Amino acid sequence: LIGMLLGLAVLALARAHPDGSLAGRSVAGALALLGAGWGLVAAGVVAWRRWPQSRFGALLAAAGLAWMLAELPNPEVGSALLFTVGLVTFAVAPPLVAHAALAYPGGHIDRTSERAALAAGYASTIGVLGLLHALVFDPHADGCNFCPANLLTVDAGGAAADFVERGGLVFGVVSSAGMIVVLGLAIAHSTPAARRTRAPVLVAAIAYLGLVAAGYAYSLQHGLLSTGDVDRALWRAQALALVVVALGPLARRVRARHGRLAVTRLAVEFGEAPPLGRLRDVLARAVGDPALELAFPAGDDRYVDPSGRPVRPAPGDGVALTPLLRGSRTVAVLMHHAGLLDDPALVEELSAAARLSLEHERLQAEARGQLEELRVSRAGAVQAGDRERRRLERDLHDGAQQRLVGIALALRLLRAGISPSGAPHLDAAGEHLSLALAELRELARGIYPAALAEEGLAAALEALAESAPVPVVLEGVAEERLPEAVEAAAYFLVAHTLRQAAVTRLAVHARRHDEWLVLELAAGGPLAPDFAAAEDRVGALEGSLVVERTEDGLTIRAEMPCAS
Amino acid sequence: VRVVIADDEMFLREGLPRLLEGTSVSVVGKAQNAQELLRCVALTRPDVAIVDIRMPPTHTDEGLVAAREIRTRHPEIGVLVLSHFLESRYAMRLLSEHPEKAGYLLKERVSDVAVLTDALQRISEGECVLDPTIVARLVNRPRDDNPLAQLTPREREVLGLIAEGRSNHGICEHLFLSPKTVETHVRQIFIKLGLGETPNAHRRVLAVLAFLRRESQPG
Repeated sequence: LIGMLLGLAVLALARAHPDGSLAGRSVAGALALLGAGWGLVAAGVVAWRRWPQSRFGALLAAAGLAWMLAELPNPEVGSALLFTVGLVTFAVAPPLVAHAALAYPGGHIDRTSERAALAAGYASTIGVLGLLHALVFDPHADGCNFCPANLLTVDAGGAAADFVERGGLVFGVVSSAGMIVVLGLAIAHSTPAARRTRAPVLVAAIAYLGLVAAGYAYSLQHGLLSTGDVDRALWRAQALALVVVALGPLARRVRARHGRLAVTRLAVEFGEAPPLGRLRDVLARAVGDPALELAFPAGDDRYVDPSGRPVRPAPGDGVALTPLLRGSRTVAVLMHHAGLLDDPALVEELSAAARLSLEHERLQAEARGQLEELRVSRAGAVQAGDRERRRLERDLHDGAQQRLVGIALALRLLRAGISPSGAPHLDAAGEHLSLALAELRELARGIYPAALAEEGLAAALEALAESAPVPVVLEGVAEERLPEAVEAAAYFLVAHTLRQAAVTRLAVHARRHDEWLVLELAAGGPLAPDFAAAEDRVGALEGSLVVERTEDGLTIRAEMPCAS
Repeated sequence: VRVVIADDEMFLREGLPRLLEGTSVSVVGKAQNAQELLRCVALTRPDVAIVDIRMPPTHTDEGLVAAREIRTRHPEIGVLVLSHFLESRYAMRLLSEHPEKAGYLLKERVSDVAVLTDALQRISEGECVLDPTIVARLVNRPRDDNPLAQLTPREREVLGLIAEGRSNHGICEHLFLSPKTVETHVRQIFIKLGLGETPNAHRRVLAVLAFLRRESQPG
């Protein structure tokens, strides 16, 4: 309200005395004066309401007021007090705009260089062009007889006033340039996410300050601030830049709203299961941080990402955590670039819009987490089983098989010294022993072939093919060693297929595809598509097993990751 | 035939010499592991070293490695590897490099004095020896479009004996056939299987074994 009244008042003033005003009597001038002034004040007030903890809103509103105050030192103002206030404050808008732009959106100014540039800006405008100039400027002595009195005048020396004004203008050009530099640096130093938010305001402020500096420089030619055509043109351009500055926060709100709409739309989309990670993408866009990460609580202070893998959300260098709450319960944690979600209202709206989707994806992540746990425990069980098999095979080989050979040897020695009547019995015992040894050998090989552990998949499959009761053809099985679990899974898949009594022939085709082993089995015969044990092994490796019936048997395709 | 025995099992190191008493084989040294074996071989210079495939410390293929080392270091000394493994691959690891004066038998053959002494005799004379059970498995395994189906039963028998490492002379004795008949059989086999005839006995063994193993090998 104050801003509106002030605007109308100074507009009336400008119309009453166009010569002493930059706005003048034209419609364009009025638009520039009120558009920029009211725009900044309104945007400032709105921002102030939304982010009370940020100084940005107040600074922006102050800049708007200052923009309009510049019209006060008009000879027609009629009041010595207003005239004097105007004289002191007429030039303060540029540093206020720069200050607001640097404070956007968090409200803090951290860099020393930024503080110094702002200090120089304030000093040149309020200090030199305002206060110092007011002290030495006597409007009457300057030839403005109908001007109100300057309450601050101490020395009516025209030369001094001229000198101060020139100095102030030079200082103003320099300080404006300084502020442009720190504003530019602020853009350069921002992270991509922060830059998207800040750039509109910063760039518009830079344009404005550039125009201000140009105005000072132009005025230097005749040594005083004037209201000529060029000044007016520059001033109107400044107004345009300020309107853009005022629109900056609005753009952010529009984008935020857009993001919320996307999140809400996602909730609808969940009717038909959306792809994994979609919520994260939408939230990333809504928050304006492409690197945003999403974590869901999984009980006991543990968290999982959308794919169900355990994560540890922790704030870090430039990374902040924002919990999305439902009542007092955390339904998700956002890891994002610091400073993007400082607005509690925005967080509240985001979690409200995303609630359904979050619940959905959280449940999915929880389920995936449980699946992952299951996979890990299955892998552990398979591994423990294989260790046990391997141990059994060695025990049989180094124990029972050796013992039996020893007995066979002892029988032979006995036979040499025994009566001819006893010999046939010993020979029969020897034959039984041979059979026992052969059976034991097959048993040991079936449990876990030594060739698999010692020589690898190719050797083990070769041995399997050699002893198979049906024709077996091997193709493309490389001699390279693969992770133990992969070799075992591939071997036992082939062994299981061959163990089926109905099998009539088998072709095994293996190949490496990137980091994957692809195994294709074509088995002939009326086979049962029962591969539960193989599924356990392949599933534990996060691989896939597909069994399909064909005209004369089965095709089995297993894909297993080989990266160790 | 002078032999050394390398096996980590005491009963074999002690029992085998007693079993071989009164045969043409005399045991001149014993070893418990591969290192001892190499030292023993260098010291006693036997005709043949009998080596268990699995020995300390890892109980995997120390015996095979030691056997190949003996063949490389002492070409005049033969090796006989004893193993529980029926897989032809282990035998091929031994035979493919030095087929002469090398043998691979299943461990339980140690109780069959006749087979053992025959193998040791043949190895010391320069032949190579492959266990009949392993050969039988290779010859009899089922194949798509089995090329061995073209052979007569007698020719299959002769093919197996070739794969076991026997010379024409040995095959004659084994089957009670005349040298001329055996030669005819061998020629027929090589023509029917499309194998190039090689005068070298060891090349002949390797060619036949490669043919028999072909289909089961990873391509």
